Amino acid sequence: MSDNTDSNDTSMNTVSGDKKVHGTVAEFTTVDSLMDACRKVRDAGYQKTDAFTPFPVHGIDKALGIKPTILPWIVLVCGLTGTAVALTMQIWMNAIDYPYIISGKPYISLPAFIPVAFELTILFASFGTFFGMWILNGLPKFSNPVFTDPRFDRVTDDRFFLYIDAKDPKYNQAGVEKLFGEFGSDYIQSVVEDDSEKKIPGFMYKVWIAVAAVSIIPLLIGLKMRVTNSDQPRFHIFFDMDFSPSKDAQQNTTLFADTRAMRPDVPGTVARGQHDVNFRTGIDMDAMASIDGVRAERLVRMLDDDQPESASESEESAPETTKSVMDTTPWLTDNPVDVSEETLLRGKQQFGIYCSVCHGLNGGGNGLVNRRAQRILAATWVPPSKLHDASLHADVYPDGKLFSTISNGIRKMPGYSAQIKAEDRWAIVAYVRALQRSQDASIDLVPKDQLEKIKKQQAEVEAALKAEADKANAGAESAEEETDADTSDAETSEDAKDESA
Amino acid sequence: MSHHPAPVVKPADDPAFKLPASMSALSVPLCGGGLILMIAGWAIANFMVSEKVGMSAYLAAFIYCLTLTIGCLFFVLIQHLVRAGWSTVVRRIAELVMVMIVPLAILFIPIVMSLLTGSGTLYRWDDPEYSVANHLNANVWEAKAGWLNQYWFMFRSVIYFAIWIGLAVYFYRGSTEQDETGQRSVTDRLQYWSGPAVMLFSLTTTMAAFDWVMSLAPMWFSTMFGVYLFAGSILSAHCLICLSAFLLQKKGAMRDEVTVEHYHDLGKLMFGFTLFWIYIAFSQFLLIWYGNIPEETEWFYHRQEAGWEYVSIALVVFHWIVPFMGLMSMFVRRRPAIIAFWAGYLLIMHYVDVFWMIMPEAHAAVPYSAPAATTPIAVAASVMCVVGMVGLMLGLLFRVAGGSKVVAVRDPRLAESMAFENV
Repeated sequence: MSDNTDSNDTSMNTVSGDKKVHGTVAEFTTVDSLMDACRKVRDAGYQKTDAFTPFPVHGIDKALGIKPTILPWIVLVCGLTGTAVALTMQIWMNAIDYPYIISGKPYISLPAFIPVAFELTILFASFGTFFGMWILNGLPKFSNPVFTDPRFDRVTDDRFFLYIDAKDPKYNQAGVEKLFGEFGSDYIQSVVEDDSEKKIPGFMYKVWIAVAAVSIIPLLIGLKMRVTNSDQPRFHIFFDMDFSPSKDAQQNTTLFADTRAMRPDVPGTVARGQHDVNFRTGIDMDAMASIDGVRAERLVRMLDDDQPESASESEESAPETTKSVMDTTPWLTDNPVDVSEETLLRGKQQFGIYCSVCHGLNGGGNGLVNRRAQRILAATWVPPSKLHDASLHADVYPDGKLFSTISNGIRKMPGYSAQIKAEDRWAIVAYVRALQRSQDASIDLVPKDQLEKIKKQQAEVEAALKAEADKANAGAESAEEETDADTSDAETSEDAKDESA
Repeated sequence: MSHHPAPVVKPADDPAFKLPASMSALSVPLCGGGLILMIAGWAIANFMVSEKVGMSAYLAAFIYCLTLTIGCLFFVLIQHLVRAGWSTVVRRIAELVMVMIVPLAILFIPIVMSLLTGSGTLYRWDDPEYSVANHLNANVWEAKAGWLNQYWFMFRSVIYFAIWIGLAVYFYRGSTEQDETGQRSVTDRLQYWSGPAVMLFSLTTTMAAFDWVMSLAPMWFSTMFGVYLFAGSILSAHCLICLSAFLLQKKGAMRDEVTVEHYHDLGKLMFGFTLFWIYIAFSQFLLIWYGNIPEETEWFYHRQEAGWEYVSIALVVFHWIVPFMGLMSMFVRRRPAIIAFWAGYLLIMHYVDVFWMIMPEAHAAVPYSAPAATTPIAVAASVMCVVGMVGLMLGLLFRVAGGSKVVAVRDPRLAESMAFENV
């Protein structure tokens, strides 16, 4: 249906009797006759016109010469505003004002924002359409002068009306009536000022006051509740949200056959960061079970109880590790950790923290604690092993055994399983192997591009050693040990890189 | 209602209702050339890339043609269902396209053949080693195999084609019969059956999408997949109708019948269905993305690696944002040449969509190995295959249309449709 033309309030230029005339209306009985009349009125040059029909008639805009509406642009702007508001709101709330991770997604997680953006686009566009249409049509408008004619009521049923406003520059009452007469309309009428009672009936005020009064009641109840106390139990609007059906720890449930609300782990569950038994003991436990089932079972049970393995195991392994020929434990021979540069650097770091105080930075068994013990002649001191001893090389002292020793300790050395993570203990094993290698590796293993550098460093170290030796000969004893430790350390780090390559 | 001086409906034998001779003449060259190109495309992919890519390229071409055809079938059904008046002048175009379901049934035979080899050439579930090689849970696989097995699959395919061919031929025959008799009872009869027909159509389309496309990833499932395929299908059907009307008018047919108002309406539907397509596509994606369950994310994961991520993003931009913005304005919709351009554009994008649905599943049997479907030669072969099949279909279409009319000349709503106004 067509838009209303400009409203028709005041400024009449024609008077019929003593009432102001707003325009002229003509009645038609068919759509076709109305459309014909519309086209002719348009062609006659009238602009402030309007047609009234009981149902939407397509093509009437063109017939009346009504310009396309700007409503789509309003809707577009409103829709885009909705999108922008929704996205800004969500980004602000979820990523800036109160950063909160939901479902492990990033703070600004576009897919999650799309539904709201879509809804707000539609909402704003709908508002734009609805209220834009109201504004463009001059709504709300409770009365229109055409309503004064009782015959006009049939426009809601089976009659069609064409209206020309008196404000049209071409308007002339007689001329318009003559034009309408040519269309064969059998009812042509001037639209006059509505002089019916304009006062709102008194009872309407009473109804409005009553409605306003009643609508305040919930607000008053709420306000009263906020400032008074009550001994009544709380009123639960959402009962199942106030009393969640979820179970607390140790409670019973009827959901499961064992009536426990706390569920045990699914068989075979591996906790995050947890490794298998072999990884945690350094022993091939399947092979162990076939040799000594009782001991294997005890070892596994100790792990599951999450006890530090050192307690009894150290006694168990202490006598065995002294002579490798007598050792029947199926130690892991390969380091289960992926030996990379990263692992070796980690091993070096951990070795430096935990091992070097006794074993020395170069693994030579002459760390600060040892030196101190020697100096004060500590009677019960057992010197730490030199890690470069052939008896500690991989062929006689497998990786698994070395791992077990670090974990559980040996002789005076305590177990470190409580301090060092299993992965890091394996990294230390790898680093110790690198240290051992550093003492007897051939120069041929050095990559060609580094050979020159290594040789230069070697020469420097030898020169320094020689100088130190000369000095020592001259009588300075204490300086020698320190230089030894430093230079060896430089070499081992080179070697570590070498191995990782 | 007609408000203009009632438009003159031309007599049924007016040349404006015949397929232009220049198009009829293309029938044989299109059929021949299309067939050769299609086979060449398949052969190149088959022998130079892999058998799997060859069959997948063929399937992509087949699904492309199928979606256009059944989209047009749905268009016809829905026009009868809602007793549409506006669309009568363009309905015959859709009717002519929908009977192409008959030759398409024949083009389905190679897919059945590849299935019968039982080595997972096209559908991985067809490989008896599939569940073992992928370490699938035996119980789950047994349940799946109850549905996904050669003979039950073929039986279902026959059912789908039987229903579609039945519907297409019934509605086409009714309409062409009316060309001769001009009886109103035909329209009543078609309207009467359009309701059940739509129900049959939606069920078969959904199931066919599950069987023919979704089962390429046998362990993946999405209840929205049928609607997703349908969304692309109905969108491209409207594009095809719009483009065909434009080309026919250009060649001289139905010049007075199809007006700017019809392009305006087709444009509105194209605009709406572009949004519908992304709405369905995004709804499918969002739930899977949010749930983040490995079984469900698999399908989208494969479309986010090895170059497919660019295709996925490109679909959002070029299958939705660009045409959405392009089709939004009434100015555009009321200019047949521009709207025909967008129709052609969307028809191309629809193939990208189909390609994106099917080809990522054509990676080699070893999971995560380099997908051969993205190599230039595979893409070129796929394009040859689809262009060939579309050419073949067009050739047959012109042949059928040459023996018929391009407008439902004696439809009781033809005059109403010609006088149709939008605003």
